[in-house]
Amino acid sequence: MAFNILVVDDSAVMRTMIVRTLKMSGVPIASIHEAANGEEGLRRLQDEWIDLLLLDVNMPVMNGEEMLQRIRADERTRDLAVVIVSTEGSETRLATLQSLGAAIVHKPFPPETLRDTILRVTGVTDADYYGPVAATSDSLDF
Amino acid sequence: MPTTTAQLLRRATASTFEDLAFLFLEPECSEEQAAAPLDAAVSVDFHGPVRGRLTVRVSSTLMPTIAANMLGEEQARHVPLQRDALGEVANVVCGNALPLIAGADAVFRLDAPRWIADEPRARDGDAPAACVSGGVDAGRAEVELFLFGTPEQIDALRTSGADHVSAAPAGSIF
Repeated sequence: MAFNILVVDDSAVMRTMIVRTLKMSGVPIASIHEAANGEEGLRRLQDEWIDLLLLDVNMPVMNGEEMLQRIRADERTRDLAVVIVSTEGSETRLATLQSLGAAIVHKPFPPETLRDTILRVTGVTDADYYGPVAATSDSLDF
Repeated sequence: MPTTTAQLLRRATASTFEDLAFLFLEPECSEEQAAAPLDAAVSVDFHGPVRGRLTVRVSSTLMPTIAANMLGEEQARHVPLQRDALGEVANVVCGNALPLIAGADAVFRLDAPRWIADEPRARDGDAPAACVSGGVDAGRAEVELFLFGTPEQIDALRTSGADHVSAAPAGSIF
């Protein structure tokens, strides 16, 4: 399965970094969409089929927490896989985001952390990602 | 051993430079690094239990390297993107330093990074609460944390992170 991914972050630099990391990580990608705040992100969700949302918290216009609450309140998007990618360090706020079903990746992040979190929240197994492992056979003749 | 605000700021700064820009912040500057001017600068204002500002100043010779390491060689040629990349460094340093200093329950809102290299340095009355500096590649970097508020507000912030913040020499903490 290849993912349609939406990256919502007010920093164009961070969006570029996340997209670059996604491409390097080997996560199967069908399309990548971008938005600069929660409001713009919600419009994208109405217009496009999205499998995975990578969401910042601190943003103007509409922050990530409010966007996530609206996503969970809408039956069309309530089951969307969401990964928060943020510097947010408040345990109170992180607990709220986790209670809304989001996984957390803390900035700065190594590419493998983002990849592993995406694979976990989307339910992609090692076999899906790496392909089937060849079975060993006792009958091999050396 | 108690940890000071300056040490916490250094930890957040060093890890951000390393993980985000793939550059190492060396505690001591070589002669070449010390001679490099701090002529590129951004700031991030924050609001929460106290108001404040974090500034990041680096030698402008580092700007293409920072941008290239964060965005790729192609993007690194554009000066606005170089400035945006340094802004993101400041944003991440600030986002990581504040919970270390104020405690994990404190909620802060960070403004967008602002380019301040063309503005005069802070007035004498705005002494930083903490400052870290060091050599980076062929230049140097300096990060300053300013806290604006009443002494009571700043004391409350210190109490929030009191399990790891202690009194420090004048000029380096609160």
